[in-house]
Amino acid sequence: MDDDALKGRPPFPFATIGVAMAFSSSRLEAVLTEAKALAEIFQARLLLIHIGERTSAKEALLAEILARLGGEGLVVETIWQQGQPVKSLLAICKQNLVDLLVLRAKRREKGLSYYLGSVVRGLSRAAKCSLLLLTEPTVSGTSFKRLVVSGVQHPKTIGTLKTVTYFAKGVGAEEITVVTESDQQGLAMAMAYDSTANMSTNVKKQLSGEEARQLHALVCRCAPCEIKVSEKLVLGRPGHAIRQYAESVAADLLVINSPDAKYGLIDRIFTHGMEYILENLPCNLLIVHSRVS
Amino acid sequence: MAKLSPDDLVVFLVAISTMLLLSRFASELGRKIGLPIVMGELLVGIALGPTVLGALSPAAYNTVFPFTTNEHVAIALDGIFSLAVIMLLFVAGLEIQLSQVIRQGRITVYAGFGSMVLPFVCGFAAAWILPQVFAIKQADHHLFALFLGTAMSISALPVIARILLDMKLFKTKVGMVIISSAIFNDLIGWLFFSFILSLAGKNGGSTMAIGTTLVSITTFSVFMLVVGRLFLNRILPWVQTRLSWPGGVLSLSLGLCLLCAAFTESIHIHAILGAFIAGIAIGDSVHLREQAREIMHQFVTNFFAPLFFVSIGLKVDFVQHFDGVIVGVILLIACIGKVLGASIGARLGGMNWYQAMAVGFGLNARGAMEIILGSLAFQAGLITQPIFVALVVMALVTSITSAPLIRFFLRERPCPAAG
Repeated sequence: MDDDALKGRPPFPFATIGVAMAFSSSRLEAVLTEAKALAEIFQARLLLIHIGERTSAKEALLAEILARLGGEGLVVETIWQQGQPVKSLLAICKQNLVDLLVLRAKRREKGLSYYLGSVVRGLSRAAKCSLLLLTEPTVSGTSFKRLVVSGVQHPKTIGTLKTVTYFAKGVGAEEITVVTESDQQGLAMAMAYDSTANMSTNVKKQLSGEEARQLHALVCRCAPCEIKVSEKLVLGRPGHAIRQYAESVAADLLVINSPDAKYGLIDRIFTHGMEYILENLPCNLLIVHSRVS
Repeated sequence: MAKLSPDDLVVFLVAISTMLLLSRFASELGRKIGLPIVMGELLVGIALGPTVLGALSPAAYNTVFPFTTNEHVAIALDGIFSLAVIMLLFVAGLEIQLSQVIRQGRITVYAGFGSMVLPFVCGFAAAWILPQVFAIKQADHHLFALFLGTAMSISALPVIARILLDMKLFKTKVGMVIISSAIFNDLIGWLFFSFILSLAGKNGGSTMAIGTTLVSITTFSVFMLVVGRLFLNRILPWVQTRLSWPGGVLSLSLGLCLLCAAFTESIHIHAILGAFIAGIAIGDSVHLREQAREIMHQFVTNFFAPLFFVSIGLKVDFVQHFDGVIVGVILLIACIGKVLGASIGARLGGMNWYQAMAVGFGLNARGAMEIILGSLAFQAGLITQPIFVALVVMALVTSITSAPLIRFFLRERPCPAAG
């Protein structure tokens, strides 16, 4: 695999869509259906990946599901590999220039498994390609009508917004809300000593206004599209505030940037940013990996 | 049960109200000309204490503040002042968000370490090399050196946050690095200071005492910051929605603060550690509503803080114990260590020199935290009155000079927004 092929590769179009198959899951067929539908929409090559033992029973089951799904004209390849799931999946995605990896994810990892790390969470923390985490995949297909996107001030965000527009057009989304989170940490402390009521209100207004202006400027940098795009400022800690917002508006898909550095156990104990979302997925999650030079 | 007589109660209440009313008046005047509020409170203490009122009219001083003539009132006031310092450390902990340090990444680690290590080395070395300047007894030499190193490395998060807010730098990259590094400084600094205070209580500290103290501090802190924090994170939503608002969360927070303070005091670590760690455990929770946080801050900073800072002036004669040499040395090592350490750290972390220097001067503000630290050390017998006075002067000078110096290094150099 040529490393240069990945350098600067834009997060869209989705030329290759991978799907991680877990034969133990009752939703295998649903995940494959969703991935196939996306591959058809975006005219992508579909890569079926299984990390685990290759058995005739698994092969038979896969053949049966694929036969049911149909998908004539679709380029489908299957990769069977043994090894450590997260590392193997990351390596396969890199070697095959996967643009989007589709996975089934539980909304919430129970007890210690969250801290120890599941495959899906592990991939999300170290993603080197975009990931689509489906919480409730169905054989009838998930609808992505209402999209909530993180508009955090970061070089990757413009790539994420463009990817969302591309994705939204493909899946027929009706509404995109770009959200910026305003963390008020330290404000209570800074204002407690010697602020008049007016001063406190003005400072809060000024901070919120500045963040709203930055968000608007960011949204304006994206090419206009026919889908309704709105802007929203929510108060709260980054990651947690957008998760709550996505939950409150019953979003179909939450979209965030991929992390800059790999998240570890310490990030799970002292939760911040993306970990608030992974801790309890509010809906389906798209993690966009923009390769910013 | 021993109790205050009606006359004692009158004196006690008059003393408290005098401190509160005059400090508010002085602080409002100070605010008009841009001085830190703590300066007004200290000046009121100096005016009411032995420096001015005690010198001009000892009878009036002893009537309102009978520290030496009325044991009951003295004990009651001391109880209030002790509670004040516990509450101040609690609200300081409320703003320590551990995730903030992790979120800012490499640059905060560099700036945070730089702004701790170099000032610590400077303070320690000065105390070690120049014991005659500080007039410290040989037996307390190493503890004093540890203390001076810690005192040089601490920052004042509330003052820094306010400066950044006034300068509209609060949400910029430079602002976030300064805040995160100050959190880092405060966390490590107060943990280490608790360790020093514990040793001071054990007359210098044998190897056994050092080991026991370290284990106690580490175990308590790790337990509260991991298990306690997770537990609070689970119950806070329930407390805030099912119990009276905001009564429920205030009772839980303040009750836990005092309980932890009592616990650490009972295991011979100072009560401030318990309060500080309880503050972090509660304040770090994403579920703590901003309104509850504001109420706690307002209550402590407008009731307990004035009492505490006025009480400093009441106990120390600032004129008699002002030593120009000690003030000069402490001011010099404090500024050189902090500004250079933080700037070099921020530069290594990837900032340009102008921004790095702004980080250095931002972290140089010591403010109220330094005064609290000095006051506790003075009470514990770690430092003398001239050193305490020098620390107070240093805290005020660094707080006042911080904003103009940040402005100088950032003028016409717009700061990128925090990512």
